[in-house]
Amino acid sequence: MIAASIMTTKVLTVPVTGTMYDAFNLVQEAKVRQIPILDEQKRVVGVLTPRSLMKAILPSYITEGLVEDVRFAPELPDFVQNIDKLASKKVSDLLEKDFVAVSPETSVMEVAALMVNAKKHVESVLVVDDRKTLLGIISPWDVFKRLWDYSEKNRK
Amino acid sequence: MEQAFYLAIGIFVAVYALLIWDKLNRAVVALLGASALILLGVLNQEAAVHGIDFNTIGLLIGMMVIVFISQDTGMFQFIAIKGAKMSKGDPWKILIALSVVTALLSALLDNVTTVLLTVPITLLITQELEVNPYPYLVSQILMSNIGGTATLIGDPPNIMIGSATGLTFMDFVFGVGPVIPIIFIATIIPLRFIYGSSFKVSEDRKKRIMEFRESEALTDIPLLKKCLVVLALVVGGFMMQRQLHLEPATIALFGASVLLLISKKDLHQVMEKVEWTSIFFFIGLFIVVHSLVEVGFIRYLADLMLAATGGDLAVTGFAILWGSAIASSIVDNIPFVATMIPLIKNMAPAFGGDAAVLPLWWALSLGACLGGNGTIIGASANVVVSGIAHRNGHEMKFFKFMLIAYPMMLLSIAISTVYMYIRFLG
Repeated sequence: MIAASIMTTKVLTVPVTGTMYDAFNLVQEAKVRQIPILDEQKRVVGVLTPRSLMKAILPSYITEGLVEDVRFAPELPDFVQNIDKLASKKVSDLLEKDFVAVSPETSVMEVAALMVNAKKHVESVLVVDDRKTLLGIISPWDVFKRLWDYSEKNRK
Repeated sequence: MEQAFYLAIGIFVAVYALLIWDKLNRAVVALLGASALILLGVLNQEAAVHGIDFNTIGLLIGMMVIVFISQDTGMFQFIAIKGAKMSKGDPWKILIALSVVTALLSALLDNVTTVLLTVPITLLITQELEVNPYPYLVSQILMSNIGGTATLIGDPPNIMIGSATGLTFMDFVFGVGPVIPIIFIATIIPLRFIYGSSFKVSEDRKKRIMEFRESEALTDIPLLKKCLVVLALVVGGFMMQRQLHLEPATIALFGASVLLLISKKDLHQVMEKVEWTSIFFFIGLFIVVHSLVEVGFIRYLADLMLAATGGDLAVTGFAILWGSAIASSIVDNIPFVATMIPLIKNMAPAFGGDAAVLPLWWALSLGACLGGNGTIIGASANVVVSGIAHRNGHEMKFFKFMLIAYPMMLLSIAISTVYMYIRFLG
């Protein structure tokens, strides 16, 4: 089984020139883990994840882990205001460049290994061709669903 | 011999230059210098290892382990928030409270650890108060270096001086300790006048500070109890050092081992947090400086200095105090003190033995520790604070900081001069 056979091909994307406001509007409706960001040639240049957005609105002494536990502090007013500031920012300011991408021929086992062993938190794996054009996306549940279906078929 | 003499000086100067240039990791620089000395035959390996002060190394590692485990209990954050709340939310009183907390903590912890604990809390509090955090950050820097001067374990120069001379924890408390509260007060009063306008906030804001729940910061009460027992044992051990006939490293490493045993912490996780780069920096540096002693260069420098001061103890003392302060405001005080220690030891016979040069050690300690306050790069704690501030959107510019801090530093050295004169050199 290869990546191409289990990926979802209908992917929600945002152009790199867009604003965060556009991105927020897009995710209002759809339930997605991360949004691939494309340049004019439709190549993937990065992804937006809710984790990196949350990082952007928290003070950096918290995101750097200097105070990991803020149970003792009351709600910070700026925390909410920062979201408004975020909306007017450009997508290109906030995208994460070190996303995980594989070629369509990659084995499903390799995709699964990537998800388990990646140093950073992997939301989902992108499938791109050798010119970095986006072909599809694989979530951890996609891997499981296909493996489950496969074994179900074999049992019969 | 002749060749070894110049090789040792050459490598020493190169190491110093690279440290000031500050583009390479300081541990790499020191280790490169040390191994080059052995490789080129200036020192053999045995002599090199002999030059390493393992008491300093052991004390640093022991304290790092104890402090790392204690940090996990949230006790230091508890102290900082408690201090801030005792000031009833008044911004100026909070600055004083946080300064006291920083000074006290840095007397027991190393300065960088102290500011890593207090600065985030300071930023959180100033954000709640909606006041400019800059004066608070400046005072955190100044007080971490001032408080660290007071004890043997507060600042690396003191650790090195104590290890090399056998001066104890209590020797430091009585030798340099008494002047520290005076310097603290003399430093905090001008801050009021310099930044007076930034300490006005509404009652509503003050209330928000009182909403902080400091007891929530204590995340692990059973571990907290264990840490407090070990901390009490270790500090008690330091205080009884003379009666117990123990080196501080023995006390700190014993405390660390006991805490590792009773806290059941994962050893690998704790060991990862020991700052090995600092430890290896010390190791390399000790070897580099030791080579200067071996080839006779320190002896030569000592004679030069004695000739310059005419063998007068007071003149030498004040020269060391001011010289160390000016030097430490620009270069890292650790290599400077590492070089000064054998230099003073070499001068001791001319003044009538080890006991006679006691004031010189206090002059070195005060100068090297307080001198770090002069510039934003004067001490590691300063660099760390400005780094955190920068990443949180508060720039601490070199000259803007120096304009306030350098006169403050000179003031503290002037006070130290009077103190030294009254107590030791008059």
